[in-house]
Amino acid sequence: MSDDIKVDKSLDLKGLACPMPVVKVSKGIKEVEIGQVIEAITTDPGSLTDFPAWARTSGNEILKSEQDDNEIRFYIERKI
Amino acid sequence: MSVQPFTAQDLFEWLVSKETFLLLDVRNDEEFGRFKVEGPYPFEMINVPYMEFIEHEEESVAKVPKGKKLRIVCAKEGSSKYVGEILVNHGHTDVAHMLVGIKDWGNLLAPVRVAAGDDYELYQFRRPGKASCSYGLLCNKEMMLFDPAKNIAAYQAFADEKGCTVTRTFETHRQADYISGSPMLQQALGTEILVPAADFQGAAFDYTPVNDNDRFNFTHGGPTVKVMHTPGHTPGSTSYLIDDKFIVAGDMIFIFSMGRPDLGGMAKAWSRMLFQTMTEKILALDDSMLVLPGHYMDWKEANQDLVFTETLGKIKEINAAIYGITDESVFYDFIQSNMRPQPEEYAKIREINAGLVQVDAEEADIMDLGKNECAASMHA
Repeated sequence: MSDDIKVDKSLDLKGLACPMPVVKVSKGIKEVEIGQVIEAITTDPGSLTDFPAWARTSGNEILKSEQDDNEIRFYIERKI
Repeated sequence: MSVQPFTAQDLFEWLVSKETFLLLDVRNDEEFGRFKVEGPYPFEMINVPYMEFIEHEEESVAKVPKGKKLRIVCAKEGSSKYVGEILVNHGHTDVAHMLVGIKDWGNLLAPVRVAAGDDYELYQFRRPGKASCSYGLLCNKEMMLFDPAKNIAAYQAFADEKGCTVTRTFETHRQADYISGSPMLQQALGTEILVPAADFQGAAFDYTPVNDNDRFNFTHGGPTVKVMHTPGHTPGSTSYLIDDKFIVAGDMIFIFSMGRPDLGGMAKAWSRMLFQTMTEKILALDDSMLVLPGHYMDWKEANQDLVFTETLGKIKEINAAIYGITDESVFYDFIQSNMRPQPEEYAKIREINAGLVQVDAEEADIMDLGKNECAASMHA
């Protein structure tokens, strides 16, 4: 959990392989209001470039991403 | 109608047989920009990232022309199948997705025979995903390999088919751009690794050092492999002459360039070595010598049989801008004017190739993916 970002919804996408993390984040972001933030936790290294590509395509914004040995966390604000 | 599977090997065969199809790469645009499928002949390829199909299905489907044989690739198989199913639902009828994903293309080895004598055969293992070449020299039941890649199953299957055993692997130098298969072959089969010691000090596997003018033979008959130290790309860089007719040149001589001497962070000193090797050793070889390069930059370098080889005489003509330089400082200027950054993973690959760092298979595949950056110039 990031200290400075208020998370409205968390998606556990650990263990999922392409394309499911993006399919689920695409669906999950639509379940919060514009301006709200979701946290998505993945273990797929492909999401490091796929999530930013998805954000560009969908028009949402990745506020922050964090990576440690086991997982990658994205904080994404719904913009549209 | 469903989405059929195909393999990287199938894709290579379609590319070399000029099959008509549309290759749809659904990786994100960054990955696609970094590394894409290449073949010897023009073919149709488009990039529509799978996340676009997820977000904007209709618009993305409209980007894919109808009535084509669609062959879809992605990073790891799942997304190509996913997109394939969307396209089938929109009326596409001939849709297939690549098994395993782009890394299988990256690892694919395609052997082609370069030459044969009474008691030997010489094969080039083209690696279209890396634009690199390794070599196999076969005599009776023995096979020597030069610069094997990490897809050792492919060499083993080839050796089995030929009724051979891999007995020795020679390294021309410590590679920075791909993970060597020699340590893995040694672990699997107990093969002898032969390397220039200058590049492999402190390596964590057993090796036999090779020195200028050493000769190696098969147990019975066959050609002689003669060692020629050709430093410059690295201090240890070594070429192997096969019966004085072929030179396995590693990253010393390329058909369209020469191996860059700036990867080790000592461009000036290594340029001097390279210049000396070029003027004193390479130019002293017979022009009829057939060069077997460690890399190519472009499929245009292949001959009509799609083998990457050329006579030294012709290579000197093609690269007159390099081989014509007679002054060391002019040579260094040329090197400097062509210098460009190297991929950040090269440092770690060097460590792996000395056995000093271990990575799991998935990380190895990720690091090993992508075209080489070894030439001193994009085109001489």
